[in-house]
Amino acid sequence: MTTMLSTTGLTVTFGVNKAVDDLDLVVEAGQLVGLIGPNGAGKTTTVDAISGFVPCRGEVDFLGTSMTSLSATARARAGLGRTWQSSELFDDLTVLENLQVAAEKISTKGFLRDLVNPRNDDVEALEKILASVDLLAAKNQLPTELSHGQRKLVGVARALAASPAVLCMDEPAAGLDSTESLELGGRIRSLVDGGLSVLLIDHDMGLVLTVCDVIYVLDFGRLIAKGTPEEIRSSPAVIEAYLGGGSDA
Amino acid sequence: MSRYLQRWTTPRGIAAQVAILLGVALAIVILISANQTQALVLGLGAGALIAALALSITLNYQGSGVVNFSVGAMAMYASYIYFGLRTDGKLFLPPIPNPLALIEGVVHLFGAPGFRLPAFPAFISVSNGGSTSYSYGAAIKTAAMSAPEAMVIALAECAVLGLLFHLLIFRPLRKAPVLAKVVASIGLFILLQEIVVLRFGSDAQTVSPILPQHPVSLPRGIHIPSDQLFLTAIVILVTFLLWGIFKYTRYGIATRAAAENEKGSLILGFSPDFLAGVNWVGSTVLVGLFGILIGPINQSIDPYTVTLLVIPALAAALLARFTSFSVTVIAGLGIGMASSWIQYITNQSWFPKVGGAALPGLSDALPFVIIIVVLMLRGKSLPTRGSIETIKLPFAPKAKRALPSTALFTIVAAVLLFVVTPDWRLAIVNATVGAVICLSLVVLTGYVGQISLMQMALAGMSGFTLSKVADAYHIPFPIGPLLGAVVAVGVGLLAGIPALRVRGVNLAVATFAAAMTIQSVVLGNPAWSGTNGASVAPPSMFGVTFGPNQPWSKIFGGGKGLLPNPWFGVFCLVVLALLILGVVNIRRSRTGRQMLAVRANERAAAAAGVSVSGTKILAFAISAFIAGIGGALSGYRFGSVTADYFGAVPSMLFLAFAYLGGISSVSGAVVGGMLVAGGISTMILTSWLHVSDQYTLLIAGTGLILMAIFNPQGVAGGIRELSHSLQARRHAKRGEQPEVELQEVSS
Repeated sequence: MTTMLSTTGLTVTFGVNKAVDDLDLVVEAGQLVGLIGPNGAGKTTTVDAISGFVPCRGEVDFLGTSMTSLSATARARAGLGRTWQSSELFDDLTVLENLQVAAEKISTKGFLRDLVNPRNDDVEALEKILASVDLLAAKNQLPTELSHGQRKLVGVARALAASPAVLCMDEPAAGLDSTESLELGGRIRSLVDGGLSVLLIDHDMGLVLTVCDVIYVLDFGRLIAKGTPEEIRSSPAVIEAYLGGGSDA
Repeated sequence: MSRYLQRWTTPRGIAAQVAILLGVALAIVILISANQTQALVLGLGAGALIAALALSITLNYQGSGVVNFSVGAMAMYASYIYFGLRTDGKLFLPPIPNPLALIEGVVHLFGAPGFRLPAFPAFISVSNGGSTSYSYGAAIKTAAMSAPEAMVIALAECAVLGLLFHLLIFRPLRKAPVLAKVVASIGLFILLQEIVVLRFGSDAQTVSPILPQHPVSLPRGIHIPSDQLFLTAIVILVTFLLWGIFKYTRYGIATRAAAENEKGSLILGFSPDFLAGVNWVGSTVLVGLFGILIGPINQSIDPYTVTLLVIPALAAALLARFTSFSVTVIAGLGIGMASSWIQYITNQSWFPKVGGAALPGLSDALPFVIIIVVLMLRGKSLPTRGSIETIKLPFAPKAKRALPSTALFTIVAAVLLFVVTPDWRLAIVNATVGAVICLSLVVLTGYVGQISLMQMALAGMSGFTLSKVADAYHIPFPIGPLLGAVVAVGVGLLAGIPALRVRGVNLAVATFAAAMTIQSVVLGNPAWSGTNGASVAPPSMFGVTFGPNQPWSKIFGGGKGLLPNPWFGVFCLVVLALLILGVVNIRRSRTGRQMLAVRANERAAAAAGVSVSGTKILAFAISAFIAGIGGALSGYRFGSVTADYFGAVPSMLFLAFAYLGGISSVSGAVVGGMLVAGGISTMILTSWLHVSDQYTLLIAGTGLILMAIFNPQGVAGGIRELSHSLQARRHAKRGEQPEVELQEVSS
């Protein structure tokens, strides 16, 4: 197996607090890797650091190249995709246009051509992506007209439109009910079966334990466990982190 | 290292940097020369006023999230209230809309211009000491009222005005986009200035002293007038007071909490609305007080000088991130003193001269330089998500059937040029040129969300270049304007670089300061632009000259000789049409989608592989290019490029008109063009409704405020919504499903 994405000694500091502390994480090709932890464990910060939205120390390697000095845009263009917990859609653009933004690469020549003759290429490929999440009918709607669950799916579809090699998904199941959540899990699994490598972040263990190949568990920014779903289920450190602190299992 | 840098970019760190830099500069100057030290201390008075304006800006921002561009105008307005009371014992009133004016307008329409119905009074007599005439001569009259009395009444009016501004304008705008608030404060700026011009004229008025004015001797033969010292002491006192209130009282803490999150103030038992109101009253009284006190120090008052001090004040407030009172005041005083010092040294014989005279306007460039340096020091910002801090702009529709409708519009307007009277023809030309400038804002502000208050200054740079290259190198017509537009792009990018680090209202401040710099240093420089502006030769191609003043053969009879030349109007219309089609294509293409993505959510745009800074730079360049073309057309239209027409205030006005028309659509730019001064709306007011010229800006200012509050989509957006609801109703009547046109339904 080839390593798609890895972090070495990843550390993010906010003031005196270490939100992420010395994290080593590996996503192999075709793997669905889960990253879980209680609220405030540093999961989203990890994704922000990997995708270039938070300054960090340590190394982020993607397809064998260091991403550490690259901007968020450059990382995205290199094929390191991400989704957002709160969708963060472009509300002024239609669903299809949201996908187009991610799929298109801009160039000076392209801009000059656009001035005279604006064209829309590759819409079929994007429609195929929309169809795969049952949103083809909504392609000309604005994101504000969609339900919460649909907006989340548009966020995923937009990330897929950029044809990433690795996709970091930040709590795609947040705000979904358990049926929707399981359905989403199935969709993510089929993406991975189609060759995509995924880093899936969630604070709810249910989804992650069902679909992931490898799971990392964070608590207070530190890695407390790593392994297959079975290993994680029986890890005393994980049980302590989730149950020891109180009743919010 | 990075932690070290981090510490220096906190507000306190920046305060320390500013203090150290100022301290070092001060020490050097004081050591070198007593004369320079003298120049420095003579800037204290102006510095105190700038500091007070900046404090007021900070208060407004903390209280209601408004960056108030009209604080200078408020200070100026207060000085006139005081002046009117003190010299004539009369309180002047703003022109109140008179319901009878409608009847008058109709009567005038049928040709009885002499007809006048009773109107509201312009002044209320408060003290019987004044003469009965309303004329305000330059000479000091016997005071009609004592200074303390006049001041108390003036400040009371300021308090009332502050409350009214809050209740009538900024409270309704509490949840409005930043741009709407900016536009409303621009409207207020214009309104206050025009009321004063209407009541007192635009000439300077002499005011009698208020504070004691004896020179205080300092070592080495340096003197400082005591009134400047008093003013400085007062502003420092006010700062301590504000600092104490905000640090120790529940009210102050609640305001600070509200500035972060309105729920915070509710927890402390204050409604955010109440806090905003109190801060408005306080800040208006504060600027009123300083506006009144600065008059005698400047020896006179006029409607413009103090009004424009909002630019250095904004620089000072920006330096303090609209939070720290102490940094604000140090920066304000520092800018005032530095300006005075710069004026002194530019007049010295050793300082480089331009055309034998001192380089003007360098002190006006100071705020811009400060803003740029500060933004550079603060380091690069990471993309963040769109929030209340940034702007939520009106929906940007894709134009449908753009080619036929643009062609039709152009042909109709072109035909009109040949059949209407000369003043209507000129109005069409003005509207066309205005629409080009508004179009430049559609790309930058409408599509990418970057507020620019320098578009007319960029246009001026282009016109200036056109004038110079035609003059010195005889560069022929199509190349000259293009070269001008390229220079505008260069200047636009130079000033737009901070756009990569700031967004929203901070960028508006930076570009406003840039416009002031261009106005003072380049366009208003007599050595470069002459006393009447840089002259622009009419365009000419293949031996045919088609400037506005070249008579053209008559087409539809009449002995008028068709001046201004209608073909010049056709030329402008064709240029506008081409630019419109270009912008329409941008909106339809990937470029436009990426722009709107950046406007909606910078963070998500970056994650989608869009270069946020690249997109902004591109938008700045396109926008500056369009503005540059507009500047060249304007230059041809007037035959010259003047600082008055292309300065900071016109730039501000154009943002407002573009917003009024509908800033995020091409049709909005066309409507905006019709609204600009001298455009179609002016003609309707003056020639159909017989409203006097002097009221047009007043009406424009009022219109801006009303539009910002009631219809943030702009005229074009409003029409679009109306036509959709009508369409939906028609379909409903027929019992059909409405044809949903999602592209154009507002979000």
